[in-house]
Amino acid sequence: MAQDPLLVVDNVSFRYREREELAIKDISLQLEAGEVLLIAGASGCGKTTLARVINGLIPRSYKGELTGRILIHGQDTSDMSLARISQNVGTVLQDPERQILGTKVINEVAFGLENAGLSRVEILERAEGSMNYLRIADLRDRDTFNLSGGEKQKVALAGVLAMEPSLLLLDEPLASLDPASALDALRLMRELADEGIAILIVEHRVEDVLKISPDRMLFMMDGEVVYEGSTEGVAQSVDYHEVKLPARIVIGRAAEDPPPAKIEFLPGVAPGDEPLVRFDHVSFFYEEGRDVLQDINLMINAGDIIAILGPNGAGKTTLVKHAIGLLKPKSGNVFVEGKDTRDLSVAEVASTLGYVFQSPSHMLFAPSVRDELTFGPSNLGHSSEEIEKEVQRSIDIMNLSGMEEYPPLALSFGQQKRVSIAAILAMGSKILVMDEPTAGQDYKNYMDFMDSILQLPSFESILFITHDVDLAVVYANRVILLNEGRLVGDGKPQEVLSDYKHLEKWRLVPTSLLDVNLEMFVRTQRFMRAEALAHIPS
Amino acid sequence: MLVTWRYRDRKSLIQSFDPSAWIVFYTCFIVATVFFWDFRYLSLLLIIALVFVFTSKVTWGESKRAWLFIGGFVVFFAVLTFLTGRGGMEVYEEEHVITTLRAPFTIFGWNPALDITLERAMFGLSQMVRVFSMASMTILIPYTLNPAHYGISFRRLGLPDKIAYAMDLTMRFIPTFGRDFQLTMDAQRARGYEMEKLSGGLFSQVRKLAPLIVPVTIHAIAGSEDIIDAMDLRGFGIGPRTWLVELKYKRRDYALMVFGVLILLGSIIASLFGYGKFWVPPALLNALGG
Repeated sequence: MAQDPLLVVDNVSFRYREREELAIKDISLQLEAGEVLLIAGASGCGKTTLARVINGLIPRSYKGELTGRILIHGQDTSDMSLARISQNVGTVLQDPERQILGTKVINEVAFGLENAGLSRVEILERAEGSMNYLRIADLRDRDTFNLSGGEKQKVALAGVLAMEPSLLLLDEPLASLDPASALDALRLMRELADEGIAILIVEHRVEDVLKISPDRMLFMMDGEVVYEGSTEGVAQSVDYHEVKLPARIVIGRAAEDPPPAKIEFLPGVAPGDEPLVRFDHVSFFYEEGRDVLQDINLMINAGDIIAILGPNGAGKTTLVKHAIGLLKPKSGNVFVEGKDTRDLSVAEVASTLGYVFQSPSHMLFAPSVRDELTFGPSNLGHSSEEIEKEVQRSIDIMNLSGMEEYPPLALSFGQQKRVSIAAILAMGSKILVMDEPTAGQDYKNYMDFMDSILQLPSFESILFITHDVDLAVVYANRVILLNEGRLVGDGKPQEVLSDYKHLEKWRLVPTSLLDVNLEMFVRTQRFMRAEALAHIPS
Repeated sequence: MLVTWRYRDRKSLIQSFDPSAWIVFYTCFIVATVFFWDFRYLSLLLIIALVFVFTSKVTWGESKRAWLFIGGFVVFFAVLTFLTGRGGMEVYEEEHVITTLRAPFTIFGWNPALDITLERAMFGLSQMVRVFSMASMTILIPYTLNPAHYGISFRRLGLPDKIAYAMDLTMRFIPTFGRDFQLTMDAQRARGYEMEKLSGGLFSQVRKLAPLIVPVTIHAIAGSEDIIDAMDLRGFGIGPRTWLVELKYKRRDYALMVFGVLILLGSIIASLFGYGKFWVPPALLNALGG
């Protein structure tokens, strides 16, 4: 007798109760034990919905109209409880932060087993086994909120593995990890698959997932599967503007297309004689004896497009919070346009330096997009005619026209992010600082808005914090490397990023785009995106 | 994700007790305090509270914000009570004036005057002692109770699994809320928002707080939805649950609970017999010729 496949998704469609259109249409797929399936696609393509259908959150927690069947080990899941499904399907959510419930690592890992009512002895045995397997036994008694991003994810994964699922469902598992942790996580998934667990990865960082050679891949667009098959075939059938593919593949394909439009970055810059921002021997700590920043010396000049790279907890956000005066150095000084931030209020600095926080949900509050954009400039005391112009300009730049009267809180995450950037643009500052501008955005989305922001005539300098080495390769003309509160690299991208041994030490992983750029540097004399490299004569 | 309070194992008197036993004692203590207005009884309760505070090994440095905040409140209301006589009218019937302060001016023919009476002074003092002993016991909780034990502590007091876990999450939600508030505050200050500049009437002041209140509220709602999903996905609430943490009452825990219950019963009985009502030192009354 042939065994039933582990997972069968049979002709499934779903419409959320509050929406009119279907989120996914007629999806069918099969998965066997030990297989790795990659599901890719832009945000809003329905990949998260598909994941929720499989793990049972749809229709149990998210209501709507579901048709089709899901079979696990040949059994229809429609009348199973969520707990029953969760014994077979283990889910690791996009952001491990949002999944972790326990205060101590051991409590977190044991949570599902506790709910199943097992004996204490068995719970401990299985929880510890799962931690040993993931090589995190040393974290056992740590507080969960003190863990690094990579550790949090392993802890979340351990909690799921302890329940011995036959299928692991990972929703954008790489989103919050620094490059080295991401690579680590991927290797682990390969190992798990080799042990016989089926793995379903929902991820738009296709290039990264390809490193562990998934058995098959599914590409989704607008709720439908547009490609299903081997990973070799995908390079030919997927739009390289939509999904990040390995640089050599993009170069091969882009050579047949017309060259990309030339982009001029920071077109409005007039070189000044004075640095815009100057850090002079800056040190900072929250608790005495545990420095978060150590003796930072740094100048930001007109024309700089700076990428700040470094592992989780390196002090990147603390550094930029000093530039706007939200934090004041414990020793040393920060000068903004020649003035010490100790003598300036945050509001005064804000007219020079606009700071976009990582999460838009921490700042959006107004009843309409227009009101949201008016907030900053009116706090700075701009006149109402000025404000009107500034708001209109940022609406145009961030492509928000037609949404002026919408409540920002009702928009999608990508749109909210654009509103949050527009709200800072409206303040008319000279320097723009963005903390992880691409987090939670898919490839096409963030490339588009980075392109348009960098072409704005109003900025004299732009800084962004990122984990994405390619973002630095494509956009920055200067890279700052931070590790444990110290400046460990500062210079042109081709200088800072060319020493791979050095990079590895700071938990950065060279990308295929960086490889190719370094190889071709003799001819190009600067870093560029893969599409542009395709048109460099050899 | 939920962050935690500044708990540490401090090897102190209060931490030598089992958390469930402590919750029983705490509840008895608070209820007992409510029965009294007598300065003498209240002082006794305050002394008990202070014993725990001074042996807790919670340092001034780490807890000063909480003490100053709550202490400020307690003193403010006690002074308000003293000045206005507010709230005291039900517990005392006559007042003995010590002195009357008269303002050296008149407003529209009215000469503001303040009667300083013995009763008001004693009432203000009693109120201060009463609230302060309750506050001291409460401030200790986040510093001394292990967050990993919240759920099981409530479970052992007989609450069902679901409610015990909900209490656990709620207690950990408060500091998380604080962190979100700080992040939002920073994000809005970066947009030139200055809370110091709030002006206008009460209503418009509240409106001007919207940039803080709205994001924090939305975050709390979204955060709780995530928590529910995460719990569902790991089979919470399907049946009786095992709690990994195992706590056992020791002899001293029983002693503490008995002590708490005795305080409570004693207070109930004392108040039934009419003891513990508002008290003014008779010597002072005599001195005023009452």
